[in-house]
Amino acid sequence: MARAALQADRHEYGSYDELLEDYFERGWTDGLPIVAPTPEKVAAFLDAAGLEASEVIGEVPTREVVVTAEQAAANAVMAGCRAEYMPAVVAALRAHLHEKGNCHSTTGTLSGAAQAVILNGPVRSELGIACGAACFGPGFRANATIGRALRLVIRNVCRAIPGVLDRASFSTPARYQFCFGEDEEDSSWRPMHVERGFAPEDSTVTVASVMNMVSAVDFHSRAPEGICDSILGVILSRFVATDRWLGDGTNLVLIVGPEHRRFFDRAGWSKDDIRSYLWPRFHKDGKKSIGLGRPEGLLIVAAGGDGMGESWLLFPHLAWAITEKIV
Amino acid sequence: MSEKWTGLDPTSGPLERRDERVLRPRPESLDGHVIGLVANGLGRGEELLDRVYHGIAERTGASGAVRVLKPGVSVPPEPADWARLTSEATVAITGFGG
Repeated sequence: MARAALQADRHEYGSYDELLEDYFERGWTDGLPIVAPTPEKVAAFLDAAGLEASEVIGEVPTREVVVTAEQAAANAVMAGCRAEYMPAVVAALRAHLHEKGNCHSTTGTLSGAAQAVILNGPVRSELGIACGAACFGPGFRANATIGRALRLVIRNVCRAIPGVLDRASFSTPARYQFCFGEDEEDSSWRPMHVERGFAPEDSTVTVASVMNMVSAVDFHSRAPEGICDSILGVILSRFVATDRWLGDGTNLVLIVGPEHRRFFDRAGWSKDDIRSYLWPRFHKDGKKSIGLGRPEGLLIVAAGGDGMGESWLLFPHLAWAITEKIV
Repeated sequence: MSEKWTGLDPTSGPLERRDERVLRPRPESLDGHVIGLVANGLGRGEELLDRVYHGIAERTGASGAVRVLKPGVSVPPEPADWARLTSEATVAITGFGG
C-alpha cells in the first residue's frame, strides 16, 4: 500500500552479496551485515505502523535533518526487525528526537554516550522483549534489532558517523544496540511507565541517554538500607550531567536486579521508598551533590536475572529520559 | 538464473551538501571590530572570555563586545542571542571545556 509513495533513491544489484558490499562501501551500516531494505519490505513496515512514507517522525534542527517514516522503516528493515516491531521503533525515535532528548549532543559527544531503549507494558510479551536473565546482552531478536534500528537511524539519517558528527573519543559497544524491558511480571513494583503517568495497559518506550553504566554489586546486605547504601556509594562516585537548559528534568536510571528486589519486597519497600531513602543522602551540608532536580528523576526499573546480587546505574548524558506511548 | 535486488537509500542524503552559506573571510586585523563572546556556562568561562576580550582589545583596538551565555553547554544560543550576535558582532569567540 505504501510502496508507491516511497521517495528514497533506488539502487539495483545483481545479488544480495553485491548489495551488502555496496552498503558497506557507502558507510550505510554499523559494520555488521544488514537485511536488504527492499521497497516491498519497507512498504510492509510502514503499513505495519500505519504510517505514510513522508510522515515526519522528528527533526534534528542543528543538523538540518528531518526524519521520515520511510527512512525509519528502511533502517528498521536493515537492523533485522520484524514488521511488527516498527511501532516500537517509531516510538523510540520520537523519544530520542524529543527536544529534551537533546539528540544532537548525546550522539555527537566526545563521551560516546549511548541510548538505552526500555520497554514497558504488553508490547514486551507481544514482541518477545527480554526483561530477565541476560537482558542487556545478545540473544534476543526484538531487543537487538529495535535497539539497532534506533542506532542505524542515528547514523544514516541523523548523520552521527564517527569522525563526522559522532566525535566520540572511544565510543561504546552499547552504541550497536541497547534495549531491554522492565520485568513487570516478576516485580511487585509499579512499572516505570505507570510512574510516568501512563496506564498499565499502555505500551511505552523510554529512551535514556547513557554516558556510562556502572553496576552496584552487593552480595552481603540483607536489608533495603544496606543495598541502598551500596547503590548510593556508586551514585556519589560519579556525577549526573545537567545544565541550566535541562533544569530539574534530568534522570538517572537505576535497574534493580531480582537478588536485590527480594530484600526490598520482603521489607515492603516500594520504588518511592527507595527514592525517599536516597534523596536526602544526595545532599551534603545542605547542598545537592548530584545533578538530579527531583526525587522522581531517579527512574527505577526491575530487570535482570537471578544469582548475582547486583543492580545497575545508567548515568545520563545531557538529556532527559523521554517516554513515548507505542501507537 | 540471476536474481535482482533493489535496495533503498536509508540516509537523509549525501554528507557533503551544497550549502549556499559562505564563511566570511578572516579579518586581517581586529582593529575596530566588535567581538562576540559566546560562553557555554561551564566553570568560569564567562570570566575567561572577558579576560581574553580585554587582552585582545588592549593589543588590537577592538571596539566592543557582545556577551552571550548559552542556555546550556550542549545547545545553541537562544534565537534572540543569535540575532544580537549576527547583527552587532563582527567576529566571535566561543569556548570549550568539559
